[in-house]
Amino acid sequence: MKKIELLFPELCNLYGESYNITYLQRCCPEEIQIIETNHRDRPAFASGDVDMVYLGCMTERKQEMVLSALRDYKTRFRELIDKNVLFLVTGNAVELFGREIRDGERAIEGLGLFDFYSVRNRKGERHNSQFIGVWDDLTLLGHKSQFSFSYGDFAESFIHIQRGIGMNPDTDREGIQVNNFFATYSLGPFLILNPRFTKRLLERLGLAPRLCFEKEIMEAYDYRLAELTKALPLYKGGDKRS
Amino acid sequence: MLRFYFALWAAKLAAWILKLRGQERNDWPGLLAIKLCPDFLARVRKPALVIAVTGTNGKGTTAALISNRLEAEGRTVSFNDWGANLSAGFALNLMRCVNVFNRPVKDASVLEADERTLDVTMGQIQPDYILVTNLAKDSLRRNAHPEFIFDILDRTFSILGGNTTAILNANDPISSQLACNCKRVFFGVGDIHTHPYESRAMDITVCPRCGGPIYYHSRLYRQFGDFYCPDCDFKTPEAKYFVTAADLAAGQMTVSEEGQEQVYPLISDTVFHLSNVLAFVALMRELGTSREALAEFLQAQQVTRFRETCVEYDGVRYYTYAAKGQNVSAASTVFEYLAAEPSRKVLVLVMDELQDRNHATETLTWLYETDFELLNSPNIQQIVVGGHMCLNHRLRLLLAGVPEERLVCIEDESRIPDYVKVDGAERVYVLFEVDFPTKARNIRDAIIEAQKGRKQP
Repeated sequence: MKKIELLFPELCNLYGESYNITYLQRCCPEEIQIIETNHRDRPAFASGDVDMVYLGCMTERKQEMVLSALRDYKTRFRELIDKNVLFLVTGNAVELFGREIRDGERAIEGLGLFDFYSVRNRKGERHNSQFIGVWDDLTLLGHKSQFSFSYGDFAESFIHIQRGIGMNPDTDREGIQVNNFFATYSLGPFLILNPRFTKRLLERLGLAPRLCFEKEIMEAYDYRLAELTKALPLYKGGDKRS
Repeated sequence: MLRFYFALWAAKLAAWILKLRGQERNDWPGLLAIKLCPDFLARVRKPALVIAVTGTNGKGTTAALISNRLEAEGRTVSFNDWGANLSAGFALNLMRCVNVFNRPVKDASVLEADERTLDVTMGQIQPDYILVTNLAKDSLRRNAHPEFIFDILDRTFSILGGNTTAILNANDPISSQLACNCKRVFFGVGDIHTHPYESRAMDITVCPRCGGPIYYHSRLYRQFGDFYCPDCDFKTPEAKYFVTAADLAAGQMTVSEEGQEQVYPLISDTVFHLSNVLAFVALMRELGTSREALAEFLQAQQVTRFRETCVEYDGVRYYTYAAKGQNVSAASTVFEYLAAEPSRKVLVLVMDELQDRNHATETLTWLYETDFELLNSPNIQQIVVGGHMCLNHRLRLLLAGVPEERLVCIEDESRIPDYVKVDGAERVYVLFEVDFPTKARNIRDAIIEAQKGRKQP
């Protein structure tokens, strides 16, 4: 039985993110146990073994509540990442793992696990976009809808953007990957959007890579990929890796 | 001042030309006025009564009731009922309230107001009342999340201060916390035994004051109800206009107001429209209209026609019903109604935002926030999904537990009528994105034509 900890679903399910974990369990109902942890409780990963930790998108105010709830576990996070425990972090939850979040004159201290910072601009236009990118040999899709961007060199990025933008409009580097720690700005049901990645995730969990409604989810992915390939312009920003 | 008059005259001339062309609902003159005079909304003189109606859902219906009632009282009213609920629409609305000398010629302005830009516009307009129907999840692309919209509205009320009265929904744990520095009047509903379903579309799940859980003495639908936090004093405010009993099937509610009760007719059998009617009653009572007059007036009112239409053919009722794609709260509320309404039915979902087609911002997040599980109901015999997002809808419906044999998925919406199986159904609902009522009616009519074709020998 694999244990997946769903962190703070009462706060971090802003755009249907918890369905990522619901879907994983639908794929392997007999082999996955979900531990839902409230932000007022001690996380299961803090003291025990879990196979995967998930943290989804939240409002800007809730980012500070979640940071307060997680600040004590910075060392434990590093230890688990080094032990190859799976992490999936989506939406603006990625910002919590950087050095700080800047909001006008304020600087909100992050967990500092990775060397980047984020800048919030709630008074400006909200950024909305989608992306197509590459990870390993897979083509991944993502949604973005956010008030902030992140800045750094992102040497340990997750996705190489082909269409759309990365962590900010001037980079094709999207998200963070270190060992089995995966973080992306993409919000909502990332695993529904990317069934091929979901299969890889199941494999990394040590489970059979079979999907719930596999035919239907693949058809939806293929259609969407074709549609977005037509709709999205190629990335032409300044931070080309190759 | 010269610039203002130039803007007013140019806008009035443009409006006159558009009127000659039969385009009175075009808000371009309002846009022109603001282009020429950016503080047009502040400078244009206001009629004696200005009412803004805002909120995520129900503002159009509530504003229409208010406008209709004011006119029934013999007042002249300017109302932006053409859906232009941003600054250009407000400018056109208010421009119609004055003559070329900027002197008021109407008694009242009713502004259906989009909540996203309220802090910019209402500070200039200084309305007498702002009625907030509710705050809930809307398009993430534009409105982000309810906390963001709450901050905009709260800033609006801070700017307006004591000059504006806030009419607020006591059952809404979000919007009921607005306008602490203004005069506030609450409307609310007690336990009317609505037996709501569990919902994933809960826009507030922790107490905004202490982070504790939110519990309910009674719940109306989704997060709306008689709420409280066990760890602090966060709870439903006391409502001046309070529904003590309601019979949705019979179409009436009993409202207690400072110890006196009055029965009012409803405009539909849905609890969300009950809330809209109650909001209307609260505002009109604050304006001094008698309870009896309001009750009599409501007898003849109905839901705005473009949101809901019905045609009957061969014993089956064919509806078009606005459901707002990408609006989690509106879609979930409609789904709950359709599941609870007992007649056997066919649903046709054409909820794609066509403006977003192949647009780089279209998302499918809302599908996984919306209560599609409610559509797995024995009284829903078939669900037909159309449009370019249909494969995503099909997957979501399957994950929601809807049996595959009840689903039809067609990208080409013009072919929907070929697949609708009406046998055994009492009703057919075409659920449509609110901006496309004509498309929905065309599909509905084509379904009826297809049924007629099948009847012919």
